[in-house]
Amino acid sequence: MNWPALPKFNFSFNRPDTGDKLLISVSARQVSAAHWRHGHFAGCDMFTYSDEGLAAFKSYLAEIRKSLPVHMLVDAVEEDYRFEALPHSTGRDRSALVNRKLKQHYRNTPYLSAQLRGRDAGKRRDDRYLFCALTNPELIAEWVQAVIECDLPLAGIYLLPTVSQGLVERLQLAQTNLLLVSSNSSGLRLTFLREQTLRISRLARIDATTAQAIKNYAEEISNTRLYLHALRVMTLDEQLSVLIVDSDDTLAELAEIVARDNPNIECHRLTRAEIVARIGIAAPALDSSADALYLHLLGLQAPDSNLAPANVTFGYRRQKLRRGINAAAGVIAFVMAVMGAYSWYRIYDINLEIKSDSESAARQTAARQIAELQAQYREATRQYPAAPTSGENLRSAVEISQKIGATTRSPETMMTIVSRVLEHSPAIAVKRFGWKYGATNIEPGGKADEPGFAAAAGGARRQSGLIDGEVRPFRGDHRAAIEAINGFASLLAQQPQVAEVKITKLPLNINPASALSGNTTEGGGLAGTAEFKLLLVFKPTL
Amino acid sequence: MNALDLHTLKTLRRPLGVLAAVIAIGAILLSYTDGELQSAQRAAAQQQNQLREARIQLNKSGEEKETIVRYLDRYQYLQQLGFVGDEQRINWLDGLRFANRETRLFGVDYQIGAQQPYPYAAELNPGQLTLYQSVMKINLKLLHEGDLMRFLGTLARLGAGLFSVNQCVIERVDAGDNLRNQPNLRAECELAWITLRPPGEKKS
Repeated sequence: MNWPALPKFNFSFNRPDTGDKLLISVSARQVSAAHWRHGHFAGCDMFTYSDEGLAAFKSYLAEIRKSLPVHMLVDAVEEDYRFEALPHSTGRDRSALVNRKLKQHYRNTPYLSAQLRGRDAGKRRDDRYLFCALTNPELIAEWVQAVIECDLPLAGIYLLPTVSQGLVERLQLAQTNLLLVSSNSSGLRLTFLREQTLRISRLARIDATTAQAIKNYAEEISNTRLYLHALRVMTLDEQLSVLIVDSDDTLAELAEIVARDNPNIECHRLTRAEIVARIGIAAPALDSSADALYLHLLGLQAPDSNLAPANVTFGYRRQKLRRGINAAAGVIAFVMAVMGAYSWYRIYDINLEIKSDSESAARQTAARQIAELQAQYREATRQYPAAPTSGENLRSAVEISQKIGATTRSPETMMTIVSRVLEHSPAIAVKRFGWKYGATNIEPGGKADEPGFAAAAGGARRQSGLIDGEVRPFRGDHRAAIEAINGFASLLAQQPQVAEVKITKLPLNINPASALSGNTTEGGGLAGTAEFKLLLVFKPTL
Repeated sequence: MNALDLHTLKTLRRPLGVLAAVIAIGAILLSYTDGELQSAQRAAAQQQNQLREARIQLNKSGEEKETIVRYLDRYQYLQQLGFVGDEQRINWLDGLRFANRETRLFGVDYQIGAQQPYPYAAELNPGQLTLYQSVMKINLKLLHEGDLMRFLGTLARLGAGLFSVNQCVIERVDAGDNLRNQPNLRAECELAWITLRPPGEKKS
């Protein structure tokens, strides 16, 4: 075959399906069934399109493994193809638009499909769709029901011409206008593809056994050309290529007639040997049914135009879901097993290092190193002087005793300072002197806490003192007495060690918030006493 | 198929059950394994710490010997003083008695509280050592305020233990007819006797 071929790319994602499945072809005359195993089938089982054939078909299905998915091919006159452009849309809008269009075109059949076939080249860039449907659902109803009753998962129902596109891809044909012609069980199938895309197909019911069959076939091809022109799919001026798929080598004469009668038609016949060689179908399988080639193409790659409604493919999708869940369980189990095994390997490795003390170990373990280091240390400590505790503790104890000695305070400094100031304050007499070294100042009560009640910790410790004194002699002159006390406090505050001096009590309470009473009688000894209290705080550094 | 309607779920009960079981068993096993792995890693890390400490200890063994030689005598002195080890309350009372006699005072009244942790231990950074204190309250009569300082100085020099003065109050007392050798002042002081305990030794 020397026709222009499409570039051949081998990295296709549409690899031939090698999964087991049951392939069924239904036409108005016969039903063919083939069990697809490992990428091919051995032959077809044939059933007549009748009640007897249906009964035999059911018996055949009863023998089939229940999990085998079923793909059904329909070759019927009652079909429709529409190639239409719709405004570009996406998502739910696209689904709604397409569903509306399908309902508009096909009201009486559940077997319908729409496939996006690219975008228009015009400014609007409309979406181009191929709508197709089986307009007579009764044709396959009983056969579909038989499959469902046998609990076989029905994966899809396809029109035969949609499978033909797979033939073009397998043969890598690149003709712009290509008419595929084949003689099937139901008649002559003529499928037109423009730029390798299915545009339209028709089935001519012609009895292949009559003498006029070939001539009738040639007429149908010529009529089809006119039909395409009438549909404005292509003009008569355009070149049309015709590929006669001759699976039983009976159409050689047809090719000659077409070539002779239609000079502007490029005609080629695909012989049985070429089909076997290029499509990969076994010769006995090809001979077993007129629809065998299409069943093989369906087995290799199911087209995207699945006519089956959701309720028909329920079992298949349920099976896929079940398999998906099982696969997920398997993958999860495998991943967890690998993770677990890796973790246990690490645990084993770590434990080997921790616990092993074998001298022959390739690397010396940490446990062994510790034991050796400790033995060396024990040997070294034998040369130490006998000590009640570690060297570190000896050093700490000595340093702590030194620190305590350095932080110990006595009242002597404060007493010395107070004595020195008293020498310059002859009117002041001290009755009581309190001193404290702690985190808080001495309480005005001045009484030491009971034993066992320590000063609160926290904060720097400092020395504080409380002086209870009086002014002597006092003859009722409070102003002079307060001046003497203030002078005493001022002298104390001038001492460099002193941080704070505070008079907490004066002989006379001149606070406006308090009541005040007394006697103004003149004379010595009758005016009471002029007592005061004074708090003295040293700087924390002392 | 309305994907997950009740009927569908019923038909998928078995594979879903298997999936759930696989996830549950796997999660339990992985959780257990992870726990074991973490435990092993902790043990390995602990062992590495021991190894590091053993190396440091060995490397410092010469230094430690030098430290022992340097501080042992002074440590033993502190033991004799009663600063290290158990409290030596009898020594403290002997010290009070001796200081009273030495400074010719009029007798000392005392009260000693229960031993308790030393509140300013953190300032001394004791490390493994533990510091305690027992607070002693003393009352004594004085001829003049200088006697108190002589008494405290004598008590400190006697080596009865290590103490710090927390608080003192001195007040005049009525000496009556101002007789000689009669106390003029009364002092009340609070002393904290501090002791130190090495690690491993329990309180007696």
